[in-house]
Parts: sequence; C-alpha cells; structure tokens
Amino acid sequence: MLRSKRSEYTTAAILMAPFVVIYGLLFVYPTIKMAQLSLTDAPLIGAGKWVGLDNYYRLASDRLFSVAVWNTVYFVILSVVPSTLVAMLVALGVNRLKGWTQSVVLAAFFLPYILPVSVVFRIWSWMFDKDFGIAQNAVQLFNNGQHLSIFRTIPLFMPAVAFVTVWWLLGFNVLLFIAGLRNISTEIYEAAGLDGASRWAQFTRITWPLVWPVTVLVFTINLILQLKIFDQVYLFANGGRVGATMVMVQFIFTEAFQMNKGGLAAAASVVLFVLIVVLSVVQFQLLRARGAR
Amino acid sequence: MIRKILYATLASAALTVGAAHATETIVWWDFLSGGDGVRMKAMLDEFNKEHDGKVHIDATTLEWGVPFYTKVQTSAATGQGPDVMTYHESRMPLGISTGSLSPIAPEELAAAGIKASDFGPANWKAAQGTDGQQYAVPLDIHSIILYYNKDMLRKAGLLGDDGKPKGLDGAANFDAALAKLTTKEVAGLSVPNDGATGWRIFYTLLNQQDGQFFKDGKFLDGDNLDKATTALAEMQKWVKSGATPANTEYPASIALFTSGKAAMHINGVWEVPTMVDLAKKGQLFDWGAIQIPTFYAHPATWADSHSFAIPNRVGNPVDPAKRKLVLDAVHWFNEHSLEWAGGGHIPAYLPVQESAEFKALKPNSDYSSLAKTAVFDPVSTLAGVASPVYDASGNYVIPAMMGDMTPADAAKKMRDDLQGQAK
Repeated sequence: MLRSKRSEYTTAAILMAPFVVIYGLLFVYPTIKMAQLSLTDAPLIGAGKWVGLDNYYRLASDRLFSVAVWNTVYFVILSVVPSTLVAMLVALGVNRLKGWTQSVVLAAFFLPYILPVSVVFRIWSWMFDKDFGIAQNAVQLFNNGQHLSIFRTIPLFMPAVAFVTVWWLLGFNVLLFIAGLRNISTEIYEAAGLDGASRWAQFTRITWPLVWPVTVLVFTINLILQLKIFDQVYLFANGGRVGATMVMVQFIFTEAFQMNKGGLAAAASVVLFVLIVVLSVVQFQLLRARGAR
Repeated sequence: MIRKILYATLASAALTVGAAHATETIVWWDFLSGGDGVRMKAMLDEFNKEHDGKVHIDATTLEWGVPFYTKVQTSAATGQGPDVMTYHESRMPLGISTGSLSPIAPEELAAAGIKASDFGPANWKAAQGTDGQQYAVPLDIHSIILYYNKDMLRKAGLLGDDGKPKGLDGAANFDAALAKLTTKEVAGLSVPNDGATGWRIFYTLLNQQDGQFFKDGKFLDGDNLDKATTALAEMQKWVKSGATPANTEYPASIALFTSGKAAMHINGVWEVPTMVDLAKKGQLFDWGAIQIPTFYAHPATWADSHSFAIPNRVGNPVDPAKRKLVLDAVHWFNEHSLEWAGGGHIPAYLPVQESAEFKALKPNSDYSSLAKTAVFDPVSTLAGVASPVYDASGNYVIPAMMGDMTPADAAKKMRDDLQGQAK
C-alpha cells in the first residue's frame, strides 16, 4: 500500500500533539520560567528586578548552600550504593524461594514501601527515641550503657536517615531485581551446571552480567531520587540543627517559602537540576558502557 | 418517577439558594489542631448555633507554621483565601511586608465594639505595623510556664503553704533547687529539645536581664551578646549538672513529667489541657503551674499571641459588609474567650482576663500574672513563629544547652548567622 510521506507526518503530529503540548506546558515552560526567575530578585510571589548572575554568585559564597550540596552528595553516597547492593542480595535470596513462601517474604520486604514518609518518620523516631525508644537497648551496647539521641548527634544523622531510607525503599528495588532475575532463562543455568560451573562462577558469569541492565536502572532511579532528598531529612531534623543537616531541596524550600526569596531559590533549583542531569547522564553512560563490554 | 425526583431536586436546590440568601457565610482559616483546637471547634459550634440563620462560620484547620503562612501569602496574592484567619502576632512583620494582611480602620474597629483599651498595651501594639495601622485583633496571650509535681517539691522542702513553689527565684537558687530535686531515678526538670522551646526559654532569660535580641537592625549588639551568653550558660548548666536529661524529644519530655520521672517541666501553656485531662482521669499526681521564676533582675516571660487578621486578597477584597460581620464575630470570640482559656491560654480581652470567672479558673490564674511582664518576639521579618530566628535557636541555643557548643561561641554564631540573613 502506498502512502504519502506528508500524511504520515500529519498522523504522527496529531498523535504526538497531546504529549508535546502537555510536556511543553507543564515541564518545558515552567523550567524556562524558573531559569528566568533565577536571574531576578523576585520574592515568592510576583515579579522582581533583573539582577543578572547575582543569585549564583551569592550561592557560591553561601556557607549554608555549600553545606546543603555536601550533605546531599553525602546522602547519595550513603543511600544509593547500599540500597542497590542490598536489594540485589535480597532479590537473589527471594528468587531461590518457591511458591507461597516467596510471595510472603517478598510482601514482607515490600511492606515498608507502601508507607507514607510521615509514618516512616514516626515509626523510626519512636523506635530511636532517646528516653523511651526500643532501639535504645541496642544503642546502649555501643555507647557505654548510655542512651543516645541518634537524630540529634550530627555525625550519626545522615547515616541514620540513609539507613531508614534504604529500609523504606528496599521493596521496590527488590521487585525490579526479581523481574530481572526471572528474565534469565533456566536453560542457561542447566547448561552451565552440566559443564561443571560452580555456584560462584554461575553468579559472576551468568547472573551478574545478565542482571546488569537492571542494576544500572535501579542505581539511576535511586540516584535521581536521593539527589532530591527532602522529606526524611526535614522531618528528622525539624526543630534541631537544620543548619548542619540541610540538603539542597530543603535549602530551596527554606529560601522560597520561609525567607520569601523566590529568585535565590530558583537559582538553587537550577543548580540542582543541572547537577541531576549531569550526574545521571554520566553515570548511566559509564555503567552502560561497562556492562556492554 | 423521574419527574418526581426532578421536582424534589429542584425544590431542595431552591431551599439551599433561599437559605444561602438569608445566611451570610464567613470563611475562616486557623492552625489550631492541638488540645486548644478542640476548644475552638466547640466555640465555633456555639457561635454558629447562636447566629443560626444569620451568620455561619465555615472553618478549616490547616497545618501550623511555614505551610500555613505560605498558603496565606500565596492565596492572598491571587485574590483567594478566607475572610478571616488566625495569625501569630510574632509573625505579623512578615505578613505585613509581603502585603498579605489588610489593615483594619479605627472606624471599623469602633463599629464592632473593639477598643484598644480592652487589651494590654504591648499586646495591642504587637498587632500594628511600623506604619501604625492595626492589622489584627488579639485573642490570647500564650507563653511558657513551669509545671511542677507538688509531692516532689514538698518532699524537697520547696513547696510553700499556698501550694506554690518557693525559693526558685534567682539563678543560683533555681540551680540549688534542681540539685535537691534530682535523684538517680528522677530528673529535676524536663525540657523539650526543639528549637522553638529553646528560643522561648532563652528569650525569657535574656529579657530578665534587660537584654535586647534585636535593635535598630542589629542582632545581639554590644553587651547583649554577654547577656545572651549568660542565658545560654544557665541553660547548659541544667543539662551538665544532670538535672535535665539531654535531648529529650517533645512528647518524651512531657511523658517524663507526667510519669513522675521529672519533678518540673517547662513548656507552653497549651499543654495545660494535657495535664487537666490526665488529672481528670485520675492518672496524674497533684500538679501545678506557675510563671517562669525570675532568674535575674526582674520578671519577664516570652509570649506570643494568637490574633485574628483579614487577608489582603488582591483583586478580590473582602467587601465592607463582610468585614463588619467578621469583626463582629471576632469581638464575639473575645467576649467568649473564657472558654478559650480552657486551652491554657490567657485571654487577651481584659474584661475576661480580669473577670471573677477567669480568676477562679485553675491553673490559669496561677500563672496569668506573666501577662503583665510578657515580652513579645522582636519585630522583624526574620523573627516570630517558624522563622529564621526559631531555626537559629535549633542551630545554636539547643546545641549550647546540650553542651555541644560553648555558650559564648553559640551566642556569637547565632548573632553572625542572623545578621548575615538580614542583608
């Protein structure tokens, strides 16, 4: 059947139009507006005067912003690698189970993921409560028999929040890995078994390479998610030393909504946006290149 | 059948329209979700019942703090939002600077029967902008108080014959009393470890030395820094001496007191209902509450005030007739604020504050004297509820109290941090 190129283009344009319009209206346009806003001294509401790159210079010399950038990167390091690795280990274990036991164990791991962050915060702040928390029985063992306020001890804050975050999001990552593992044909393992390949050899030569794309995916999803960390840090630090535990999105929130500085907050948002784009593209390319070797 | 349903629908619609004409609706926003919120709901019900068929208040309770004030600002700027809302007097500088509040003319106040002389001068003035215009009408004064366990104080010889503590005035005496009360099982004093509580105690101690936190655009200028250091050192002493458990979360600090593991407790008046309700159930010891003792030169206590304000809805202002209804309602709530006092607060409206009924209300009347020497937050867009000053307290006052920073270092850092933000 012959069809003119022109009519194909028209059809394509019509079919794509809804997406392009919505994407443009709800993503591209606000992003451009945000970039514009970052060059002004606008408050939270309303327009401001053009100030050029002043907001960016200010950020560069803002101590709190550098704390926020460092804490964000630190949190990513503490949470992304562990949540990927732990999820893979759990998935490998769960995958060996059969039938209903597998479903039950999988559900148990998935359960925390369905909780809203406020509930997660409540559970852990109660468990770790300095005076009445049940986890203090364990904490005592490492602190000369004394109770310790985990979330008010600055060096412990980020690791503790990262731990809670890994616990919370583990289920979803496990699910992705399980899907990846199930895609590997059992015939390959059977063949390897006949050839006398050990368990370890099977993992390094078959499972690991074949599940690599999923690993990259989980890593990337978590990287982007954790660069945008806000809720947990905000909740656990509330009323405490927010200046020492500040993360980037929290900085943006504080500047915009508490300090009424829309322009500066927009500049910080642009920095975060660029950081996420660069980091995720770079790491995705790097890991994919390694996997394709 | 269908016709019947149609008629019924039409009839009910007509009734609704008819009712809407007769009853004026006031849209109301507040942030009162604690024990006091329950009392406010009861008062709202009473108001609506009393004004049935004439005025109906449609109230919504929103999240306290930054979310509330952000929502007010954004909705006012776009011509949306309520006809009246609750507002902390301490946060009014922000609301006025962003143009979110509508000034209330003296004639409007007079028409509703609201008089400046019915409120404490400092309280009334805190609701004014630097332009001298009135932006709100106070409802209450709330502050921090000292809760105490009568049995424990009696045992330590610190209870007078009137059932009130004795010998707590003066920093040295207070510390000595803490030492007497503190045992292996019982803490002398429990204090929540959040920045807000830290600020309230710190500001109280600072003002008892005539210290000024913010003056002429400068934070902790001159010898105010030394006074701040003195205040922080006193707070640190409570923890270092072992009288106050370090880093006690807000609910845990209350639990320590109510379970008899702390002899005294400093917290807001809004926790009075917690104690009253426990005592009513027979689950609490003999307790009392008094004004924070005088540590230094003279009494002074941090205070804030819940007030009523009208938003400046851009392009869609609250019309004059509605404003009249709103102010009438505000006056009604002040006249009925004895019920509000059940939430622990001190009524701002002097005819109620000085009434025999309020004087008979325990424990409120034991600490209501604090209103006379109440000091309100510094007037700055950086100060007030959920402000950078509150955050600075979390960053410097609390660490100083817990011994993670020296008092002098914390005071200096707090000054520099806030001064940097003032630019």
